[in-house]
Amino acid sequence: MRVLVTGATTPLGRTLIDHLASSDDCALVLAVGHEPKLDRPLHAGVIYRPTDLTRGRQVKELICGDAVEHGIDTIIHMAQHRATQDHGRKVHAQNVTATRELLLRCTDHPTIRRFVHRSFAEVYALEHATSDVLDEDAALDFDPAAPQWLRDRIEADLTVCAHFGGPLQIAVLRCAEVLAANSGSQLWDYLSSRVCLRPLGFDPMLNVLSLEDAVAAIAAAARSTHTGVFNIPGADTLPLSRAIAETVRLDIPVPGPLLAPLYGLRRWTAGFEFRYDLNLRRFHFGGVIDGARARHLLGYAPCHPVQWPRSWWRLLLERLTDLRSEGT
Amino acid sequence: MDTSTFARLARQATFHDAGHGYDMFGLHPPTLAAMVSAGAPLYDWYFRVDSQGIEHVPATGAAILVANHGGVLPVDAAMMCLDILRRTDPPRIPRAIADHFVPRLPFISTLFARLGAVSGTRANVRALLEQGELIAIWPEGVTGPAKSFKDRYRIKEWRVGFAELAIRYHVPVVPVAIVGAEESWPLGLKLRGLHVFGSPYLPVPATPLPLPTHYHIRYGEPLHLNGAVHRKSDDPDAIANAATRVQVALERLLDETLRARRGVFR
Repeated sequence: MRVLVTGATTPLGRTLIDHLASSDDCALVLAVGHEPKLDRPLHAGVIYRPTDLTRGRQVKELICGDAVEHGIDTIIHMAQHRATQDHGRKVHAQNVTATRELLLRCTDHPTIRRFVHRSFAEVYALEHATSDVLDEDAALDFDPAAPQWLRDRIEADLTVCAHFGGPLQIAVLRCAEVLAANSGSQLWDYLSSRVCLRPLGFDPMLNVLSLEDAVAAIAAAARSTHTGVFNIPGADTLPLSRAIAETVRLDIPVPGPLLAPLYGLRRWTAGFEFRYDLNLRRFHFGGVIDGARARHLLGYAPCHPVQWPRSWWRLLLERLTDLRSEGT
Repeated sequence: MDTSTFARLARQATFHDAGHGYDMFGLHPPTLAAMVSAGAPLYDWYFRVDSQGIEHVPATGAAILVANHGGVLPVDAAMMCLDILRRTDPPRIPRAIADHFVPRLPFISTLFARLGAVSGTRANVRALLEQGELIAIWPEGVTGPAKSFKDRYRIKEWRVGFAELAIRYHVPVVPVAIVGAEESWPLGLKLRGLHVFGSPYLPVPATPLPLPTHYHIRYGEPLHLNGAVHRKSDDPDAIANAATRVQVALERLLDETLRARRGVFR
């Protein structure tokens, strides 16, 4: 397998490249990122190629030049703009136009046979009538009032889905939220505050994905020949209140209508990434994606829970329990 | 059986932990155990639930329980779920299929989820049946609690979705007659103009509290709808026929139970 990975400088991209470089069946990884160079030494078998995917000329040079030269057979596309407050044509170009351009260049390519697109579980519409389990047939969120962050992701997802049935083998992975720093996780940013406000009377179920499981799912999709949409859930399914407790934060239920102005104020004054309007339905109705299709066809099952932070007293308690069990 | 035994049963019941003590729908056995303990006096002393035919509820594997529905609030559903949890061995937690407006209700939605209730979406039901869960459905839907007192124990509207599920997933259907509930807390008035949190109307009960009627719960013999119709689950006629077969079985069970009881409060 000779793989081209976009979004190589993100935490997920770096972990995926490490995983692929250390696996026996991957001969070469062509890592693509926006930054001029990677901030760490490269593994053997990894080549870094700085590329601005919003520039059609650079995409053409990458796919018709470097990819052909290195005999790339699989593309893993993960480059998406992470900041939720950014908007405009440049952001749309990175999220959607770049995806479309990549796909068009890959169609009828002499060496590329497979295209794996990392999409997001946030593309699903969460409503009171469709809460709980979301399979691949669940409705998508076409709310025109949704933030660009979300609309772009849905457009990119559907752009890739429109190429199903063509010469390219395509897998779209709708991944649960990767709970990790600098990965664009809204929940991570929400939980980074010492005080977490949540809607009074609601405690929805959430599913979060660890970096290790996300990498395992993407690598499994790259190796597979199955095509279509796959939900990629994580190993942690828990209520919002429990997620707040796991991160040792103060949980304060607040009447729903007050949350938008309070979090708007927080974003405006402290510059946090968390947007309540983006998470409003998720904080009321929840939604756990069903990974049965990925389990059956890709052989992916989540097995790496998120490493939740532990308070000092909890660590001490666990250590004392361990010592006691060792003693007996 | 004392309340602590009830609570222990709830904790011992089969449960698919999704990693943090909750299942993927939000069921939380400790909360269920607490509510089971709290509801035990209602079951034992207030409604004096009399139950027969629990042996018809499969001890393992997926099955669909189909019951009649009445009363302002779903007290009948709560008593039936308590009865199954108490009398099945090993204890099974019935997964009540709630109406679509329930997830919009603050506090209620969370409490129902912790007790095992689930929205009746296709994906939810499929996931539950694939996990081998026991599903409880009230095909009358909101028309059940909306019935007038004179229409008690008369099935008016009968949804057929459960029959499609039973045929598609090859699971037995157990009809359950609940007698006592439809006289316990009759509907006085329907405020149709008030759709609080998306509910179809605001119910005003005829009595401030449910009356202490004597509950009788009867489980009928399981019906295997596949064997009866030999047709596909997407054939509307086959589904309608299967649903009618269950309705007839439930009405017969209701009639027998009503004839057998000595009085509403006895």
